[in-house]
Amino acid sequence: MAWATLGGIVAFTTMNPFYLLPLWAISWFVFTQQRVPGPASRSFRMFLVAGLMAVLIRTALVFLGPFTASNVAYFALEGLRLGTILVIFGTFNAVTDPFGVVRLAPRRFQEPALAAALALSIAPRTVASVRRIREAQQLRGIPTRGARALPALAVPVLEAGMEEAHVLAESMDSRGHGSGRRSRYRPQSWDPSAWAMALPALVAAAVFWIASTRGFGDLQPGTNPLHWPAVNPLVLAVEALLVVPGFLPRQGNARR
Amino acid sequence: MSARTGSANAGTARRVRTRQPLAASLRVPLLLVTNVAGLFAFIWPFVLPAMVHPGLDHRSDSGLILVILVGGLGGLLFTELGRGGLGPKTVALIGVLGAAMVALRLPGFVAGFNAFFIVVLVAGNSFGPGFGFLLGAIGMFASGLLIGGLGPWLPFEMVAVGWLGAGAGLMPGRGTKWPVRIGVLAVYGLVGGYLYGAIMNLWLWPFMTSGSAIAWDPSAALAQNLRHYATYYAATSFAWDTFRAVGDAVMVVALGRPLLACLDRAAKRMRLDVRDAVPAARAAEP
Amino acid sequence: MTTTDNAALSVRQLTFTYPETERPALIDVSVDIPEGAFALVLGATGAGKSTFLRTANGLVPHFTGGTFAGRVLVAGRDTLANPPRRLADAVAFVPQDAASSFVLDGVEDEIAYGMENLGVDPAHMRRRVEEMLDLLDIADLRNRSLRQLSGGERQRVAIAAALAAGPRILVLDEPTSQLDPQGAEHVMAALQRLVHDHGMTVILAEHRLERVIGWVDMAVGFADGRATAGTPREVIHDLAVGPPVSRLGRMVGWNPVPLTVRDARTLARLRPPHAMSAVTSAITGAPLVEVHGVDVQHEELGVPRPALRDVTFTLRAGEIVALMGRNGAGKTTLLRTMSGVLEPTRGSVVAGGHPPVPGLDVALCPQEPESILFNDSVVGEIRATLRARNLGGTDTAWLERLGIADLASRHPRELSAGQRLLVATAAIAATQAPVILLDEPTRGLDPESKAHLIGYLRTHAVEGGGAMFATHDVELAAAAATRILMLAGGEIIADGTPADVLGDSHVFAPQMTRVFGPGWLTPEQVAGAMA
Repeated sequence: MAWATLGGIVAFTTMNPFYLLPLWAISWFVFTQQRVPGPASRSFRMFLVAGLMAVLIRTALVFLGPFTASNVAYFALEGLRLGTILVIFGTFNAVTDPFGVVRLAPRRFQEPALAAALALSIAPRTVASVRRIREAQQLRGIPTRGARALPALAVPVLEAGMEEAHVLAESMDSRGHGSGRRSRYRPQSWDPSAWAMALPALVAAAVFWIASTRGFGDLQPGTNPLHWPAVNPLVLAVEALLVVPGFLPRQGNARR
Repeated sequence: MSARTGSANAGTARRVRTRQPLAASLRVPLLLVTNVAGLFAFIWPFVLPAMVHPGLDHRSDSGLILVILVGGLGGLLFTELGRGGLGPKTVALIGVLGAAMVALRLPGFVAGFNAFFIVVLVAGNSFGPGFGFLLGAIGMFASGLLIGGLGPWLPFEMVAVGWLGAGAGLMPGRGTKWPVRIGVLAVYGLVGGYLYGAIMNLWLWPFMTSGSAIAWDPSAALAQNLRHYATYYAATSFAWDTFRAVGDAVMVVALGRPLLACLDRAAKRMRLDVRDAVPAARAAEP
Repeated sequence: MTTTDNAALSVRQLTFTYPETERPALIDVSVDIPEGAFALVLGATGAGKSTFLRTANGLVPHFTGGTFAGRVLVAGRDTLANPPRRLADAVAFVPQDAASSFVLDGVEDEIAYGMENLGVDPAHMRRRVEEMLDLLDIADLRNRSLRQLSGGERQRVAIAAALAAGPRILVLDEPTSQLDPQGAEHVMAALQRLVHDHGMTVILAEHRLERVIGWVDMAVGFADGRATAGTPREVIHDLAVGPPVSRLGRMVGWNPVPLTVRDARTLARLRPPHAMSAVTSAITGAPLVEVHGVDVQHEELGVPRPALRDVTFTLRAGEIVALMGRNGAGKTTLLRTMSGVLEPTRGSVVAGGHPPVPGLDVALCPQEPESILFNDSVVGEIRATLRARNLGGTDTAWLERLGIADLASRHPRELSAGQRLLVATAAIAATQAPVILLDEPTRGLDPESKAHLIGYLRTHAVEGGGAMFATHDVELAAAAATRILMLAGGEIIADGTPADVLGDSHVFAPQMTRVFGPGWLTPEQVAGAMA
């Protein structure tokens, strides 16, 4: 999480393509090294597409204004920045175990977080239940397609859900939920690998932030007049720090 | 011992109220403040122009601050809603209904428009605005996690869908005649479908359009910015949102009645009333 | 104080009425369950068992509402003044459907959840989790997701999760009803360890008495909301319920009534039945569904897993087939394949010369019968089926067939589990498909509903239809089936008359077979031969 947020900041502070494009490569590398199986992993591709779309759409918007070379370049670069942010968060989504994120919730958020965790763990059952009910109604000769078939599917699903909620609430109350005390099993702490993940990203973000406010490293290449953006090798090296997570062993990905 | 020391009259029934479970004890003022702050986070391009320098770099900074603001706001809202304790019933209900939202957002499961809005609409209407907000926000969060939609836009989605659910709770509910209740909720779904799209586009608008004729212009007047935004919205999202808006309304008409009946029954079952009838034998006990 | 000092659960003059009902669910119940007891709560469905269990930790009345008169003390605490969460350290409750009671995703986390709520410190919690894993013999499941567990494993995890916070009283609602005999045996053994080795108090309700009666040391019987407590023998004698051996004992006038197969064997030696009546001849009606050389493979995480292997058999008109086998043997897969919703990987399924059309040639009542009910009245369900199939006919005729005509205007969700099964079966029957399949119709089924169901199946068969049901309930198979198919690992391992197949099995033999030998299946049959 820290990695993605800080990586996002890095991208946010620059419009220089020579700083933005390496971030796509870094994201791709981290993704291939750390991916977890599941729907989120598949979504990385969606984010890539969304990132490219952002570049294209943003560039296309130039036609709504004065059409000049510098405008085209400016729009394209801004699109590239947006696309980069999308891809960085896409990587984060793809390498993160959703339950891990929920478990990070601070104490005061525990109940909403628990509700979110429940939603995540019940969702596959809901999907299975819809499939099962569709099949069951089919076996009773009831049509399962079209708008008129919806009640035959939705009502049993919801009824089953309400029953489940009641059983669940009873079970939670029976096991002391809301009795006022509270502790945590295997509390997660910032271990060295989490630091190894967050620190380099923090350094990178800080350097970029400072560089952008000081006008250092040509982070905001002017497009009027248009010129070839300069690259500061030092800044580029700092940006490379974001690649560190790709080399760490895979486990407990949530904090990243 | 409120329950047993009660009346000495044999056979008298006396009510023992159990704690109201459905997030009813929310502190209204704080809720109001946070929601106004939330609204501000969305509509800042209209009200804030004077405070932001027209310089391009600073626009980036203000965007960043905005994300932090909404994140903080979401946190504040949750802390506030969760402080008295939601209690197991609310948590379990949000879990189950949130699961339905997650399921409906899974890629490939339901094609086309976002069917999960129907869940927020009917549940908000049946269980009330507080519950509607929590369900919308938590459901969006959970589905965002699972389908990989985690990013700076998530807090906006959470707050926006939360509002949608809260609004559904403000529409006429139990006790209203069915045709009226369904009709109003369907119209609300229609309008809500557009509003959701309009407000979700708003936060991205200043970053997407600078320099063009439909752009946010920090130095311009409110009316002009509104006009620009309307053009932008009509050009980019109106058609897309129509699917959602009409879809919501159709779903409410097709499914509203049986689903609401089911939820109403569940709501009734969760709001309880225990009567302690003191029998003669025990009343006589010392 | 009238309470016995060492009572774990003390119920005094309890009368409880659910909201919006007239009749009390419990009437003037006074029961003491002493510490260290292994108590069975029994009685017909709707007699008050489940309500009674749920008073033990305050779910009644705190989760039900209603009118509550009298007093319940658990570990000395009044349940009216203490909601369930404040009794969580004293009494543990395991509901019937363990799967939907799980709050988290992993086995260890689920066990720790109750302790987190009670603020147990992390180091102690860690130790307790280990103890629970050992106590219930589930250490090998520790890193699994709850979703991947079998029914018996889930039940044991649920028990561990309920007990972890340290309560000394354990209450379970039908813990073995969804399990196959082996799974049930595991759970009962674990419970006995808790009572014998750890001095806990265990209170459980169960329909299938033959599974539990040998383990418990006291019983509370319910009839129409009134309770009697005593030894299992006394209570069963008074209540006129019991496992098959007890029913037989009452029929032939054995006193005391035997409770276990062992008891009955001793008595049977004194009075063996006459020679067995003639075995019914095989049914040779027209073939309705022909399954030929069928393989089915399920994809599991991309790896194909065979669910059925080379299955061949024919369901004929007039047959009632019981499909048996442990959980995961392929029973449901076979039913789905026969009904046409699942394509076999290899081989063929033919009904009337073509692959079966779901809902037309073959209709199936699913494992959770309520999952097909979506109307707001019972008769509405029948009408929905008739309308969908464009069939005429009177809707009430189908209700009468299942003996539920009096429920016509009720809301399906307000009915008992057994009644709901009958409603769903009526909705399935109304398709007028020649082949009716039922997937595990015995869950929560009371004797009356069971009798109605068997009656319907027989009528259907006599009228030239065919029926098949998957079940773990040996006694139902023995009583209703004309033929038994036994599956193991996706293959048919036995196919024949109940007498042949069940008499030959150690695990699946009904009690009558265990007492009197192969061929004897039901108490009625034995009693007839003794007369």
